[in-house]
Amino acid sequence: MESRDSTRASFGLRAQAIALATRMNPGPADRSYTEGYLAQPLIMAHGGVLDGHLAGVVTLDFEGLTLGRGQLNTGTYGEGYADRRHPHTYLHEAIAVASGAFGRLGVSLAGGKGFVPFGTDDPMTRPFAAYPVNHHLAQILERYVAIAAASAGPLTLEGAVFNGDEPASPGAPPDASRFGDSWAVRATVTPHSLLEVEGSFASVTSPELVGGGGRDQRKWSVGARLAQPLGRLSSALVEWARTDELVGDAKANQFTSFLAEGSTAVARATVSARFENTTRPEEERLLDPFRYSRSPTDLAIIGITRWQIGTIAVATPLRARRVDIAPFVEVSYAHPTEELTPSAFVPQDFYGSTSIWSASVGLRLGIGSMAHRMGRYGAGMPNVPGAAVAGGQHVH
Amino acid sequence: MAFRPRAFRGPLATLFAAALAGCSSDSPTAAKPFTGPSLSVIGHGQTTVRYTAELWTRGTIAYTTTWSQRPPTGVGNAVYIWNIANNTPVMVDSLIVENATTLGDIQVSDDGALLVVATERANGSIVIYDLTNPTKPARLTRYQTDNTSNGVHTAEVARVDGKLYAFLSIDPPTARLVIVDLSDPRNPLEVMVRTMGNPFVHDVFVRDGLLFTALWDDGLTIWDVGGGGKGGTLANPVQIGNVRTAPWSPSVGGSEAHNVWWFHDAAGGANAKRFAFVGEEAPGSNGSVLNSSNGDIHVLDVSDMSAPREVAFYHVDGAGTHNFSVDEERGILYAAYYNAGVRALDVRGDLSSCSADQKAADGRCDLRKMGRELAAGLANAQTFIWGVHFDGSFVYASDMLSGLWKLTAASRTAQ
Repeated sequence: MESRDSTRASFGLRAQAIALATRMNPGPADRSYTEGYLAQPLIMAHGGVLDGHLAGVVTLDFEGLTLGRGQLNTGTYGEGYADRRHPHTYLHEAIAVASGAFGRLGVSLAGGKGFVPFGTDDPMTRPFAAYPVNHHLAQILERYVAIAAASAGPLTLEGAVFNGDEPASPGAPPDASRFGDSWAVRATVTPHSLLEVEGSFASVTSPELVGGGGRDQRKWSVGARLAQPLGRLSSALVEWARTDELVGDAKANQFTSFLAEGSTAVARATVSARFENTTRPEEERLLDPFRYSRSPTDLAIIGITRWQIGTIAVATPLRARRVDIAPFVEVSYAHPTEELTPSAFVPQDFYGSTSIWSASVGLRLGIGSMAHRMGRYGAGMPNVPGAAVAGGQHVH
Repeated sequence: MAFRPRAFRGPLATLFAAALAGCSSDSPTAAKPFTGPSLSVIGHGQTTVRYTAELWTRGTIAYTTTWSQRPPTGVGNAVYIWNIANNTPVMVDSLIVENATTLGDIQVSDDGALLVVATERANGSIVIYDLTNPTKPARLTRYQTDNTSNGVHTAEVARVDGKLYAFLSIDPPTARLVIVDLSDPRNPLEVMVRTMGNPFVHDVFVRDGLLFTALWDDGLTIWDVGGGGKGGTLANPVQIGNVRTAPWSPSVGGSEAHNVWWFHDAAGGANAKRFAFVGEEAPGSNGSVLNSSNGDIHVLDVSDMSAPREVAFYHVDGAGTHNFSVDEERGILYAAYYNAGVRALDVRGDLSSCSADQKAADGRCDLRKMGRELAAGLANAQTFIWGVHFDGSFVYASDMLSGLWKLTAASRTAQ
């Protein structure tokens, strides 16, 4: 157990944010958009007592204050936002962990509000300011969750129950009465210190309709990440994800994603590249073309769009005492096409083009340090050293 | 807690198989071709700028609403006004409802004085128009409250004890039924709000002081609102009975009760008020509107309102039903059937009585096997039929893709 539990280290505190300006051209309604934000303003803390056998993690996210209208983000969707990333909840993570060891077997129980053991690491911990389209296919977060984890040698197993409802707003807590209506399992294998492979499954009840009764989801994910730098490659991730939406036990829709990304050092800069090929559900937009109703018409969507997006980011991490600063530039090219014909949502018509460019410039800012790996708790942390800092950010 | 081991059966095998299969999606499915008698096309009033939604007719005028956003510029905020006096419906005017993205239901009051239009999504409301000049509706008011603002999915106008009311089915997250007194149409008055439905209340039917509510997975509930002898009123409906209709596929699980019609057969007899028809709306094979649909028509025996029971059904392979209109004089039900056009069913007589080979495995009678399928219109066309309206002579169908169709009515001797 000694090296497994990242939350058992002594108290840590960190604050960070991304100040950026983004231009999307074209965007919804065949217009170009240029906006600025303070994105991902976070305060994170962790600590432990009893030699780390009892530990806790808290992450506060203030996006509800700084980007309530959402962040321009081509293709991304979820929680009533499309082509803008939705703000996360103020209480992003608050998890208590009890852990111990029986010989080579490490075990832990974790509970609170936070990440479900499903899929890959959150985009917030990765090298890009723009989220991938597949965020809601590849991660499940901000739920009341109880997690049991065990690890032995290269194998880590996690199982969890949680509430299926997605957050209704930054200040809205999960529906406690729905705790336990959804569950997930994840297996992580670390065949050697360089590589970490995960496979996971989740059964999520009515994520969109908070009151229940909406479409359910069955989710699969397989991901492989570089656990520590390899040659010139400082980080890398390859993932595949699939979500089936069900009415009862009958499949109504299927969405899939393939994503690959990596970072390397070039001179004093970190250069990162990402490609993804993801299908997105389309729902009826509101008067604000970046918003959609979370009550899909009679539980039916209005189309499916395939997004193929390439992104390149260049950051130059600077460090002054405990403060880290990383100016960055990020450029994306997106090609959306409809999967179904006829479709009530036609990207060519909605955006005026199937070639969409977006660019961001900004600064990543941080102070303090954290050893905690976001989304992994107690024995659910694979037995490998922490990931390389990307773009000036810490591993959280 | 819904700990569902079945959902975990074989996920890893599925995962790896699907990974190898790549990122494909399902192909749209087509309805089974129809080869019986036809509701012939008389005329087609074409409009393709917006998606067409519900319709209503009165005299020589038809009104159609619009839905969602149709590329490149069509917004679902228009009501189209059609002259249907001749064979081909002709659009003579339109009106725009400001701050709206989808207009669902539309209905003319039984006295022809008012036109009521529902607005869904943001700014949910009903807009009430004066029809002194039927081709130039004059707006009286827009009724929007905290109880309606999440979206009015359907709005039914009906008379109870001589007074006109609107019954509004409100979208989640807090799905509810709102009843509004339209006695003074410039100043609608809320008389009841009640949370109901799982996950929502979708539509209602009101007749003889009884309120029938289609509550999706909670099935159909019958309420006394003054005519049921249970002490119910519009301000305080009292539940009489409930039935959960069988889903079109066992895998669906819930009833998906979408709309309802309590049939009063003009021919009278023992079966005159015995049956109600419930439409089931289920996502199609790829879950996307305009591509596919599923869901059956369910026949309920409501002779005992406290214990309604399903006795028969009608199914179309590869398609699902939507809204109804019933010719009660001739005993013919017309059903919009999305990608399968319009279906006409003989609903006169005892729908619960059939031979063994006309029954499904669960004992319900199959209207098709009973020979009650009279005719179909637009069944093999590239249409997606939202609504249907029988005006006493002709059948009108609103096609989401192309506008308003005028069809011949079915003949009871057409079989």
